[in-house]
Amino acid sequence: MRSLSPSQKFYKALFMTILVLFALVYLAPLYVMLSTSFKGIEEIRMGNILALPTSLNGSAWTKAWSSACTGGDCFGLAPYFWNSMRIVLPALLISTAVGALNGYVLSQWRFKGSDFLFGALLFGCFIPFQVILLPMAKLLAWLGLANTVTGLVLVHVIYGVAFTTLFFRNYYVGIPTELVRAARLDGAGFFAIFRHVFLPLSTPIIVVSVIWQFTQIWNDFLFGVVYSGPGTQPITVALNNLVNTTMGGKEYNVDMAAAVIAALPTLVVYLVAGKYFVRGLTAGAVKG
Amino acid sequence: MGSIQIKKLTKSFGDTQVLKGIDLDIKDGEFLILVGPSGCGKSTLMNSIAGLEDVSTGDILIDGDNVTDLSPKERDIAMVFQSYALYPTMSVSRNISFGLEMRKVPKAQIEKTVAEVSQLLQIEHLLDRKPSQLSGGQRQRVAMGRALARNPRVFLFDEPLSNLDAKLRVEMRTEIKKLHKRLGTTIVYVTHDQVEAMTLADRIAVMKDGQVQQFGTPYEIYNNPANRFVADFMGSPPMNFIECVVLDDKLVIESQGEKFELSVAQGERLKQAGLDTVILGIRPEMITEPKPHVAGALVHTIPMQVDVTEPMGPDTIAFGQWNGTEIQARLSPEAGVDAQAKGLISVQVDTSKVVLFDAFSGARIDT
Repeated sequence: MRSLSPSQKFYKALFMTILVLFALVYLAPLYVMLSTSFKGIEEIRMGNILALPTSLNGSAWTKAWSSACTGGDCFGLAPYFWNSMRIVLPALLISTAVGALNGYVLSQWRFKGSDFLFGALLFGCFIPFQVILLPMAKLLAWLGLANTVTGLVLVHVIYGVAFTTLFFRNYYVGIPTELVRAARLDGAGFFAIFRHVFLPLSTPIIVVSVIWQFTQIWNDFLFGVVYSGPGTQPITVALNNLVNTTMGGKEYNVDMAAAVIAALPTLVVYLVAGKYFVRGLTAGAVKG
Repeated sequence: MGSIQIKKLTKSFGDTQVLKGIDLDIKDGEFLILVGPSGCGKSTLMNSIAGLEDVSTGDILIDGDNVTDLSPKERDIAMVFQSYALYPTMSVSRNISFGLEMRKVPKAQIEKTVAEVSQLLQIEHLLDRKPSQLSGGQRQRVAMGRALARNPRVFLFDEPLSNLDAKLRVEMRTEIKKLHKRLGTTIVYVTHDQVEAMTLADRIAVMKDGQVQQFGTPYEIYNNPANRFVADFMGSPPMNFIECVVLDDKLVIESQGEKFELSVAQGERLKQAGLDTVILGIRPEMITEPKPHVAGALVHTIPMQVDVTEPMGPDTIAFGQWNGTEIQARLSPEAGVDAQAKGLISVQVDTSKVVLFDAFSGARIDT
């Protein structure tokens, strides 16, 4: 490698310093959350917000998970965590599967009006949540799904399909049509071609779709607060209730622990599959 | 086992008609080449035979069964694609067996077939690899193996050699011909390369603008082209087309300010046609250095001012001008060196195999 001149060295050091500063600014809230969650309530009141905890006290975490009060009930976040899982997993799987099939049809089995249909689906990506709140509430009531987990799954599937279709369609457009033709001559039908030829090629885009949908649905608050009933609320709604329910003083350590718990699954998904995310997103974009 | 009849086939995309009434009768076991410039409809015709595209009107019969409305799967046809279209996630062996698997062939039978086919194509050592780990030539073989394994009634080849380098292309060409000899299965083969067409075909269908211009053996196509387009398209270097004034039953060639009269075999027909000018079509190999042992009424000697020579190895192409048209002569390498040095040489013109075209329509006037 070429050695750097003094002025280049200076600029490099300057840039690094700026980058490190930005990183610190972004990481500071996380640090405050984590350190606060391990402090006792006395320590929080007396001490400095940036100080490290004097001892690792896990009681706030236990309380946030299993006994903190959210509104009237005092079972912690645990039941709502599982509610969220029961909403996220089916919605995620169904929307990814439907998106994959849609993308397969719209890219490889063009029909009259398929471009229009794709355009219409794409439009779905830009509809703000608020616009559909009332009509969707009507629809769910009419289907008998108001205030149920199934209802929330349905809402998230409908909203998610627009995005997953876009992902898969753009990814599959890069796969040559001759592959489909070869498979048809080999005697494979519509689903056999999808299963044997397309699905094995789809790992990167499936990961993209899974991360995207998991994050979207897990972090959703609006649909969660509007379409859930007592006992079916997702964790985001429960976190809000937990923070807003005060018995005496504010328990910042419990609030912080609860917030980290609520954010943890998306973090885990990113860490596990993150490297596919960027790769898959750009793969579709460049080739398409 | 695999004869194909194509009757009055047309195909339109919106307002554009790409196939304008194709009639072809392909015999069982025949090696048929569809050749023509890009956009002539040859690939569309092949896709119609495969069932990958619906036709607008007309019928396709395989072994007398009308398959026009059958799906590709039901036609018992295998195809080798230009891009090979190997399944990227499957091993070579599964690429070959996939078609059999889809047709629910028993497992033992599949294994036997894969072994046979891979031996025939010498790809046994590649069976566990993925397509991305193969060279172009190897992919080509696997694509052929996939088609062979199915033992179909008809093979379709869609420009299968166009992605290979020149040397490999010639090798694979011979290999395909040998394979056809050995299997005896009907092959329909699309190419835009006239050399491939000449070397491989039992019969050639030359296409242009969605119509078959001529359908015949390579010999017929080369020596007795139906019109100027076919004459021009087949043969490399191409046929010379020289506009000549007609003088009774002879043609006039002007070179170096002098006029020479050429007798042609079609003299009587030429006289009857009563035209002022015609287009003389003469292959470069009929314009050579003087060969004393060749003589007769149809052999003439004419001077030629050589502008450029292109040595090809076995012979040299010399470029000159007659009647204001650039013409190409095929000289021996020695005569080529001579022509390069001197510029002005004498060449021998043998008119025994010339063809005559109408100057305006390009149609033959001597048949």
